[in-house]
Amino acid sequence: MRLHPLTSLAAAGSTAVITTAAASWPLSLTVIAAAAGLSVAGGVARRMLPVVAVILAPLVLSLLAMHGLFFPEGTTVLAQWGPARVTVEGLHFALQRAAQLSAAVLVLLLCSFTISVPDLVAALSARGVHARFAFVLASTLTLLPAISSRLGRIRQAQEARGLVIMPGIVGRAGAFRWQAVPLVLSLVEDAGTRSAALQARGFGSTGHRTSYRAVQDSPVQRWVRLVLVLAAVAAIAARLWQPTAGAS
Amino acid sequence: MGQSSPPALAAGIEEFVFSGEQEPVLAGLDVAFAAGSLTAVLGGSGSGKSTLGRLLAGWLLPGDGGTLTGFLELAGTCLRFIGTAADPRIDPGSWGRQVGFVPQDPAAALSTIRATVAEELAFGLENAGIDRATMAGAVRHTAALTGLTMLLDRDPPTLSGGQLRRLAIGCAVISRPEVLIMDEPFASLDTDGAEDLAALVRNLVQDGTAVVVLSQRADAFLHNADTWLVLAGGTVAAAGSPAEIVAAGALELAGVVCPRPQAGPLPLAEPGFPAVVDGPPALELRDVSFTYRGTQRRGWFRAQPGPPADPVLHGLSLAVSAGEILAVAGPNGAGKSTLLRHLNGLLQPTAGSVLVRGRNIGGQPAGRVAADVGLLFQQPRDQLFERTVEREVRFGLEPGQPAADQAVQQALAAVGLEHLAGRHPAELPASQQRLLALATVLARRPSVLALDEPTVSLDGHGLAALDRVVRSTTAEGTAVVLVTHDLDYARSIAHRLVRIEAGRLLPAD
Repeated sequence: MRLHPLTSLAAAGSTAVITTAAASWPLSLTVIAAAAGLSVAGGVARRMLPVVAVILAPLVLSLLAMHGLFFPEGTTVLAQWGPARVTVEGLHFALQRAAQLSAAVLVLLLCSFTISVPDLVAALSARGVHARFAFVLASTLTLLPAISSRLGRIRQAQEARGLVIMPGIVGRAGAFRWQAVPLVLSLVEDAGTRSAALQARGFGSTGHRTSYRAVQDSPVQRWVRLVLVLAAVAAIAARLWQPTAGAS
Repeated sequence: MGQSSPPALAAGIEEFVFSGEQEPVLAGLDVAFAAGSLTAVLGGSGSGKSTLGRLLAGWLLPGDGGTLTGFLELAGTCLRFIGTAADPRIDPGSWGRQVGFVPQDPAAALSTIRATVAEELAFGLENAGIDRATMAGAVRHTAALTGLTMLLDRDPPTLSGGQLRRLAIGCAVISRPEVLIMDEPFASLDTDGAEDLAALVRNLVQDGTAVVVLSQRADAFLHNADTWLVLAGGTVAAAGSPAEIVAAGALELAGVVCPRPQAGPLPLAEPGFPAVVDGPPALELRDVSFTYRGTQRRGWFRAQPGPPADPVLHGLSLAVSAGEILAVAGPNGAGKSTLLRHLNGLLQPTAGSVLVRGRNIGGQPAGRVAADVGLLFQQPRDQLFERTVEREVRFGLEPGQPAADQAVQQALAAVGLEHLAGRHPAELPASQQRLLALATVLARRPSVLALDEPTVSLDGHGLAALDRVVRSTTAEGTAVVLVTHDLDYARSIAHRLVRIEAGRLLPAD
């Protein structure tokens, strides 16, 4: 059975919270391995990898630089350049924080790459979430393709009138200055027309709304969501109660 | 319209002025549409048709969009407007449930946030709080009516132009409005598409819907209308049955295009260019084949496997001499636009080569080829991107050169838009936008002119300007390739006609 979007969201959210709160090596590594395995199984690994790299590489590097080089409690010095000392304790702490952060980022990204946005919008609308919020959420899915196709059309129109664009991403990026203003103006103009269409189709009405898309849910999933949320709350409570728990 | 029951929709417009403007765009206009009737509102570009349509459909709201004096009457309820803040407010949602509207660009009617055709159809019903079982029934019924049954699970942006129009009509009729207003629904549809649409309109009229078609062409189907209203300068210039209007000769004056009656194929135009030309042809295609490589190019993004791409063009070969007009006719989706995009290098052939004045353009950026080949896109909104008409034509010309000034002036004069140089392109009516797009191409004085469906959205005056331009540029030695689904037009202007079907060139019948 397909996971209800709110179940995926609850699972990802509570896993991220619990891993962060627990601050435990084995748990972080297990979550990282599980997220990697699921992304391969779900066929999203190739799309996820560049995003993971863009988000995690700077974070992990800065953690290593901060804690690896400047860890006041560190005693076992591996190398030293002036005030900067590489200590075993510092590296250990940095790697632990990096694993914790990577686990949280990976599960949240996995969720965002596998969740069906239309299902999520339908599930939220069914729970009375405001239509405008649902529209913004759904637009995250459609806006980027729409902008890039509009950009492509403007670029072709300009090329057809003598704008020389060298092939490849560098050429296109260089020519973007010619397309930026027309792109924004045409999107603004579009928004005006779109708003008339949406209003005429009753989008502005304040009454009760229904959803055509049926999202499968089950009592089991409802229970699972409740348990996940409670587990996340419990993890935070435990952490606050015993601030050093799990820290090695 | 002698029925005793009140009309489904009526309007008495003393004056309608857009916000921030002085001159009324509509004035002294009385219209009424009875249930189960078909009315054609005919008029040239800028006659006020689209404004009237949007005003009647609640897409242009009195007060917000402009000042209305007069009345609107829907299903027996009359709203009077005197142009003050105390005027009644229209709720576009409930108005839209009773008056469906299909804009000229069907994509503009879509919500853009629904993942399938079925959900897009249901969008209006969701907003009205209709229960799911009723929605499912309505979606099935509307899909059957508009021929969308096989497409219900498709993502709307992947639909073709004709399919998009059917979806926009479906979205407009799913709430069973008493009135359906369609703006230029037949534009750019081929014969099959137009026949399907005609059958749909007949069904709706039989079911009691008042159907209003806004058009600048008095197409054959519209001769079945109960009433024709001819609009000129924002007011009704003539009204009556099609026969009465034709007899009165009111169409030509208003700039309405009247397709010639079908009296067998017309003879092709006489070639005005010398039969023997020295040197290479202006344009030559050698065995050109093309396949969209969408699935291969994605690389990292192969998660959505598409169907294996079929070749769009199969081994096309042809040559066009300087001063020659070649027409390529064919149905929607035959590969006509793809062919034209090869002529200026926007697309590169998968196999074969394209030669302009004997030079292979393979591997050259489209921007370089543009000096020799001018392409008129099918949609003016794909071609126009600047802030004023004058800047639009000037784009890409050498800045600050007197020659550029002269080229801009001449190009605008050639299409008759010189008096509109300071206007914003998006404010122009569709026909003038098309002419402006043509001017942007002419300003570069290309040796090959490639025109994609040049007659679409041109009114009578626009067609006359297009004719003048094509004839005068070919007289100066430009080679013209035009693709069109309008065989009559192709025969009236071309020296040579070929057909393209499923990506293959065939001799014309």
